[in-house]
Amino acid sequence: MEHLNTEILARLVDQTPQPEEAAHIAECEECSAELEAIRSQTDALRSLPEIRPPQGDWQGLEARLRSEGLMNDPGRFRRIGLAQTPGWMRAAAAAVLFLSGAGAGALLTSPEAPESLGDLEMPSSAATFATSTSVEAAATAVRVAEQNYVAAITRYQQLLISESGVEAGSDPMSRMAALEYLATVSQAAVRQAPGDPYLNGFLVSVLGEREATAQLVASRGNWY
Amino acid sequence: MKEISTGPSESQLIRLAADGDARAIRQLYDRYSPRVYAVVRRIAGDDDLAQDYAQEAWIRAIRALPTFRGDARFSTWLHRIAVNAALQALRKSETRKKREGPVPEQVPVAPRGGDALLQQRLERALDELPYGMRRVLILHDVEGYTHEEIGDTLGVTSGTSKSQLFKARAKMRDMLTALDGAAQESGAEAWSI
Repeated sequence: MEHLNTEILARLVDQTPQPEEAAHIAECEECSAELEAIRSQTDALRSLPEIRPPQGDWQGLEARLRSEGLMNDPGRFRRIGLAQTPGWMRAAAAAVLFLSGAGAGALLTSPEAPESLGDLEMPSSAATFATSTSVEAAATAVRVAEQNYVAAITRYQQLLISESGVEAGSDPMSRMAALEYLATVSQAAVRQAPGDPYLNGFLVSVLGEREATAQLVASRGNWY
Repeated sequence: MKEISTGPSESQLIRLAADGDARAIRQLYDRYSPRVYAVVRRIAGDDDLAQDYAQEAWIRAIRALPTFRGDARFSTWLHRIAVNAALQALRKSETRKKREGPVPEQVPVAPRGGDALLQQRLERALDELPYGMRRVLILHDVEGYTHEEIGDTLGVTSGTSKSQLFKARAKMRDMLTALDGAAQESGAEAWSI
């Protein structure tokens, strides 16, 4: 009796045999056993496990992703959960946060500084923003805050110049020292309330400004 | 029982990863790298090539993430990218020659129970299969592609895919029988299908 060849048996793993093939397999133990063996082989292939990548695989991939600009560390807004916020709103929020920081810093470093941030009163405009009842109203409030910030910081600079001279408060080293102080205070505050979004936002705003100022200082070797 | 969420959902991870978030990309990698590596390793038939192909697959996937719309499952989408990356890399490789050196004795297989000896012999036999047969056998019998899908992926007809598959299964059977015989001769634990 002529046996079915292996390729035919391999086909019969998942295809219906021709009548003569079926008849042969029914009679031939050898071909029947061989067909079962190929079926088992196919089942075993289907259940092959996943394979762990070798050590160092991630490091190589990470380096390439970074070199191609496809990966970066989480941004400051992403770290505090604001990644989905529109860009203009993030910018406005940063501005408001920085204004708060500047105000707090000025108070903390002045001779009449309050003993804690808790002594600061919320500006009336901030209280107004907090009462917005719709997205549109809140967005308008943020835009108003942004405009107020620009006007306030301009006025702040004018007053500093008129009261203390041109350099006071505007030279990078003085600003750097003030920001260092603010960073220390806000880091302590975040340690006390690590889940507080306002404190986290304030801290990242201060750290961002400190970084920018440090770069400015570094870029001006002869700033003095 | 309601499952307690312990981190961002997959769709959130994908959004963040598309934006370049390092931690999100790492989480996706941790979740899917064994599957990606497995398919490219089997197509490549070689550890060094597999690492290059897997890296290429991930680069392509992360680059294409902003276009992922969720029509298919992410794992399926990623798997297709990995298969295509590995197949294209093999095709483009002008220096690729038939491997003449010894095949690795062991492929690092993730622990998942089952017959480790059987798995090692299957992997070894797969590595030794001629490339044309191997890719069809892997796509059909390991990865579950249909002949039509294989035809689309490889640019061949479904008839060619079937023909290659049956040859590959037969060749695998011969090689496994030979490996089993060699193991018995050397006194190693016998395994047979």
